[in-house]
Amino acid sequence: MSKKKTVENPLGAIDQIIHAPARLQILMMLYVVESLDYVFLKNQTGLSWGNLATHLGKLENAGYITVIKGYQGKKPQSQIELTTSGRKAFKSYKNTLQQILDDLPE
Amino acid sequence: MKEKMSLKELERNMYRDSIQDGILDIQIGCMLLMFVLPIYLNDFLGDFWSSMVFLPLWILVIIGFRAYRKKVIQPRVGKIQYGTYRKKRLKRTNIIILVINAIALLLGILSFIQFKDVSGYVISSRFSIILLIGFSLAGYMLDFPRLYIYGIIISAAPIVGEYLYQNLGFSHHGFPATFGILSAGMIITGLIILVRLLKKYPPQDKEVPA
Repeated sequence: MSKKKTVENPLGAIDQIIHAPARLQILMMLYVVESLDYVFLKNQTGLSWGNLATHLGKLENAGYITVIKGYQGKKPQSQIELTTSGRKAFKSYKNTLQQILDDLPE
Repeated sequence: MKEKMSLKELERNMYRDSIQDGILDIQIGCMLLMFVLPIYLNDFLGDFWSSMVFLPLWILVIIGFRAYRKKVIQPRVGKIQYGTYRKKRLKRTNIIILVINAIALLLGILSFIQFKDVSGYVISSRFSIILLIGFSLAGYMLDFPRLYIYGIIISAAPIVGEYLYQNLGFSHHGFPATFGILSAGMIITGLIILVRLLKKYPPQDKEVPA
């Protein structure tokens, strides 16, 4: 039954944690660099601190990103990195989405 | 929003956002002062020391702006650690700039040796070509399009200076006039970009997400 559902709805194969626009934007940014801090991510995404924290929390819980705590003088300055499984998941998401879109009739 | 946005383009935009703080413009402007200030210091310090005194000043400018970037700009704009592709590209840029500097030095020595036999326009043209190549390569490697414009303007300066010297009687091959104006222009451009950036990104009191 559930197998049939997956065939009918190809989007079911898509990783919903990545699929949210804000999280996708965050992962895309982390995919092309080594690491970023919260301030850079906030400025680039335009998200509020609250939204950013929520999305980063979800990505961290899924094991897609890791937060490396650090300090710049006395101020905390953590760096956010994409984990190996996060990189794999993003690649797989990209391929799945591409496959679905490629299969669409003109 | 652009129609086509690739990951490569995203990386380039993020990189550009991290370096567009006007500091490079100010540094280039200060570097151009090397063609202006030693000429005036020459009367007091002599040929050698008027140039040498500028070296520690130049190092101070670089160290000062590096510290300013770390202490003031980075907490506002954020910190980015580039990926492998960008790191490799920046490394290659350093090598290319080093090679260009070595060639410029060699040509400079050559021009100095032949100074009496070669016309001023030939020497200034050589200098212009080196500047144009250097700035264009740096612009390409650093993904910093403004450097192309700077390259064109700065490379025209020695020839314009020579013209001013030969036809209008400007002193020192017109260097103080042409490079002085360019230097002021670049420092002002850099300051405008810097002030805009500081206004756009107010200081962050703390790192909010837990």
